[in-house]
Amino acid sequence: MATRGSGTGIVADQVWKKFHRGEVHDSLRDLIPAVARRMTGRAVKRDELGSDDFWSVRDVSFRVEAGEALGIIGPNGAGKSTTLRILTGIMRPDRGSVQIRGRLRALIEVAAGFHPDLTGRENIFLNGAILGMATGEVSRKLDRIVDFSGVEAFLDTPVKRYSSGMMARLGFSVAAHMDPQVLLVDEILSVGDMAFQKKCFSYMEGLSEQGVAVVFVSHNMSAIARLCPNTMVLHQGAVRFLGSTDEAQQAYYSLLDEKAADAQQAPGPSLESFEIRDAEGVPKRVFRSGERCTVRTSVRVDRRYQEFSLGLSLAMPSGDESFHTTSRRLNEPTIDAQAGDVIELTAELTLNLAGGSQTVWVQCHDYAGSPSEVRRVAAMEIHVQKSLDFGGIAYLDPSVQLRKADSGAGATD
Amino acid sequence: MSNTRPVVVQVWSSSANRIRVFATLAETWRDLIEYRHLLFQLALRDVRIRYKQAVMGFAWAIFLPILIVLSGIVVRYAMSYLSGTTLDTDIIAGLAIKSIPWAFFVGAIQFSSGVLIANRNLVTKIYFPREVLPTASVLAQCFDSAIGGLAVLAVLPLLGVSYGWAALWIFPLLAALFLFTLGSSLLLSSANLFFRDVKYIVRLLLTFGIFFTPVFFEPEMFGGTGAQLMMLNPLAPILEGLRLAVVEGHDLSQTLMVTGTGADILAWSPWYLVYVFALAVFGTAAAAVLFHRLEFLFAEYI
Repeated sequence: MATRGSGTGIVADQVWKKFHRGEVHDSLRDLIPAVARRMTGRAVKRDELGSDDFWSVRDVSFRVEAGEALGIIGPNGAGKSTTLRILTGIMRPDRGSVQIRGRLRALIEVAAGFHPDLTGRENIFLNGAILGMATGEVSRKLDRIVDFSGVEAFLDTPVKRYSSGMMARLGFSVAAHMDPQVLLVDEILSVGDMAFQKKCFSYMEGLSEQGVAVVFVSHNMSAIARLCPNTMVLHQGAVRFLGSTDEAQQAYYSLLDEKAADAQQAPGPSLESFEIRDAEGVPKRVFRSGERCTVRTSVRVDRRYQEFSLGLSLAMPSGDESFHTTSRRLNEPTIDAQAGDVIELTAELTLNLAGGSQTVWVQCHDYAGSPSEVRRVAAMEIHVQKSLDFGGIAYLDPSVQLRKADSGAGATD
Repeated sequence: MSNTRPVVVQVWSSSANRIRVFATLAETWRDLIEYRHLLFQLALRDVRIRYKQAVMGFAWAIFLPILIVLSGIVVRYAMSYLSGTTLDTDIIAGLAIKSIPWAFFVGAIQFSSGVLIANRNLVTKIYFPREVLPTASVLAQCFDSAIGGLAVLAVLPLLGVSYGWAALWIFPLLAALFLFTLGSSLLLSSANLFFRDVKYIVRLLLTFGIFFTPVFFEPEMFGGTGAQLMMLNPLAPILEGLRLAVVEGHDLSQTLMVTGTGADILAWSPWYLVYVFALAVFGTAAAAVLFHRLEFLFAEYI
């Protein structure tokens, strides 16, 4: 389209942002010493760290041109939201700069500006203004906004009587009509029912075609993989990886592993090793659905367990389990494990799953305990790319035949 | 999508350490103009929610002024009883004209000082110039007070007031009141975001302020020095000016002396106008600059 190449986009250049740990002076009593420090020149400079300060975002640089979409992913506390707030202009960086070329709009908490006592119609105008639209612009687009939201019948009802799904739909409908050149999106695609999410996705997919520069912040890898060709992985405020989304997925999952390994200090059975390989024996994190994989893990036992067994559990990002089993359920005898023993499990699985992220948990079971004890010792996130044509969450390896039934012949025979 | 307009370029970088007053003011003004639709919608929201689900509806706009006038009548009745004079209609007319700006100031400060915290959701999530929030609350209060003000202006002739040319002083006085209130709400709303004690200070200020502001009485009742001290309160010259111009028909560019118990007392000097305007203009400019410098910290400290 015409906007491609017209120079719109985002350039983030070595952006740093510091935060303060613990309480900032919150009452006037603390102001006086702070002011005194500043007057005597002992205050901390803007671009240096004070005693309780830390860098929430450190040296982040990237570029998004018109028609491009960049995903930003990272574990909690990686600096995703801070980066997003710096991009929107809510916070200013302490070092470096961000240049936004083109009309900037943000899809963040689409219903944040709603007032419960106002009607749907009144809130459309209010929210439109909050998102940067002129009153006339909202009036012109009112019909389309209402159409998109599907809440016509409740347009003159106060939104406090709306369901949360209706609120989200109305909020998104307003936001979807703001005609941006540069768009920042935060996690909103996780609201609403399936049909609405589909609508959101197709809207988002259309944006790149219209030449909008999009930054999409999420911790849902599959949503990013679907919308963004390029992804930036953030960890502790710094860029861990910036490049194609396929490689970014591997980088992100190995990052999650490191974090999981750090968390292994708690008492209980501890993880010795954990890996997932494909049929050729290559360690991998991204699989196609229907692919065969081998999970190998070993656990060091911290005390005696009379009937010890290891199990695996796969869970979707929603937390719902897609599959779980234990060695005992598969008729492997339990082990009488002594403190210090290392127990190994090898499991072969066929990933007959729909596309998306799956968290693979290693679980220790002691069937002698009453009630039997279960303990999760490790998690690894894998990504399943949907390569078979089916719907739902599991592939049931179907075989089908379709033909025109020969209705007359059977009766006469 | 054809786009002939030039591409808007915004740069976010750490704010300079030097304060550039005029550049900051110009930027604030541009921001408010650019976000005028939001300003209007937020003011409209405030007006709407004040009257939705409220049984008395627009009667609330004149309820507080009526209460102020009734309290004033009680106070003035006691005074005239002690001094053996009668409570004439001029006094009631003066109370009525002063009740509106006082109610405006109280209402505007009450709503605007907490407005940033009340809209925490917007402040932490969505970018727009934060000046819009307190300014919109002051504008919403203007709407309320306009209803009350028109009601008072309609009632005053019944109390024997006839409007002369001097009544035109209303406009500059109201402009000063608006500016001063806006400056106060910018200052208090941002201060309240950083220091929660400001909320209590505001509450005290609004409760006891009426004793230090000539609403129920006239400054000259305190004698020469007392009157001048009282007039240091920036609201005092505004309220007194309104009463003198509208009820007494006094031209505010002229000095006014009244006979007190001993010597003559200075009831009005044109310098009071200069004082109030200087304070309103420079004070509000200072508050706006401060607010604009701080607003990028709001999301972090709220």
